[in-house]
Amino acid sequence: MSAGMSTGTSPETTAEQLHFEDVAVGEELPVLEIVVDETQMFFFSAATYNGHRIHYDKEWARDREGYDDVLVQGPLQSALLARAVTDWIGGAGRLVGFSAQNRAVAFPGQTLSFGGRVTGTRVEEGRGLVELEVAGRRGDDVLMPGSATVSLPLRGDAG
Amino acid sequence: MTQQTQEPEQVPDLVPAEAAAQVGAVVARASGEVIRRDWQRWAVAVGEDNPLWFDTDHARAHGFDDVVAPPLYLQYAVLGVTPLDRLRADGSSGASSGDLAFPDAPRRMAGGESTTFHRYCGHGDVVTMERRVESIVQKQGRSGPFVLVTWRTTYTDQRDELVAEATTSMIARP
Repeated sequence: MSAGMSTGTSPETTAEQLHFEDVAVGEELPVLEIVVDETQMFFFSAATYNGHRIHYDKEWARDREGYDDVLVQGPLQSALLARAVTDWIGGAGRLVGFSAQNRAVAFPGQTLSFGGRVTGTRVEEGRGLVELEVAGRRGDDVLMPGSATVSLPLRGDAG
Repeated sequence: MTQQTQEPEQVPDLVPAEAAAQVGAVVARASGEVIRRDWQRWAVAVGEDNPLWFDTDHARAHGFDDVVAPPLYLQYAVLGVTPLDRLRADGSSGASSGDLAFPDAPRRMAGGESTTFHRYCGHGDVVTMERRVESIVQKQGRSGPFVLVTWRTTYTDQRDELVAEATTSMIARP
């Protein structure tokens, strides 16, 4: 995780813009590995106006809902999964479709990984569309399977 | 109980008539302004450092007038407020999906969400969300009957143009 809790001026990306022609079916996205802690969960609940006790009240999570600990928010997992995609496509890429299913819970302190694989490519109206199979995982366990569609610039386009 | 027989099984009806009557109905509608500071708070909570959300020059160099909101942030731009004494016991507000009740299937879990984004929003856009019940279907799973509820949600902007469309589902079990 490179961003701290500070807003504002991010460094200009030095990475080359990804183009449609750079992408092939079967290619893997760079994996985003994250250990979510309770500070991050607190800020995410605040940013999403989420009062659900299961994310901050350990007694409630254990005694009322039967979990070992508070749960990492499902929407935080999907946001991290989408982040892995939007980090990959760069400033000229666009996320046009995203879908994810909650399959299993995650706890703070666990190492989670978010990544994907290209499953299809096609050109439509002057943009390259790329289909991805994506997943949030803990080790080999798939916690959040999903898919995404992104639009990438073609080489020779501006931007 | 799970024996396969040729005879029609006695399956309890888990979908009350009041819930079934909601199919097609708008169960939630809300509007809100997309605000730069709010999406940046969301973004840093996700650990984002994507300059499209933070850096005006970068956004302008990539086809936008100014910084834009992360697409998944959209659903939070329309959230209203809930007085604390009206929260459910578990602290959640329950405001976003209507009051579909399944007394015989009280164990709920989120299914999934699938969204198509037509454009990214920026600071000052006013988004209106409208959520309809698309279907309520009772199904037979390996571990017994369950109810699958599917909502269809549209997000439109201040020009009445479609910004995003989402399909959300929930499973309720006895």
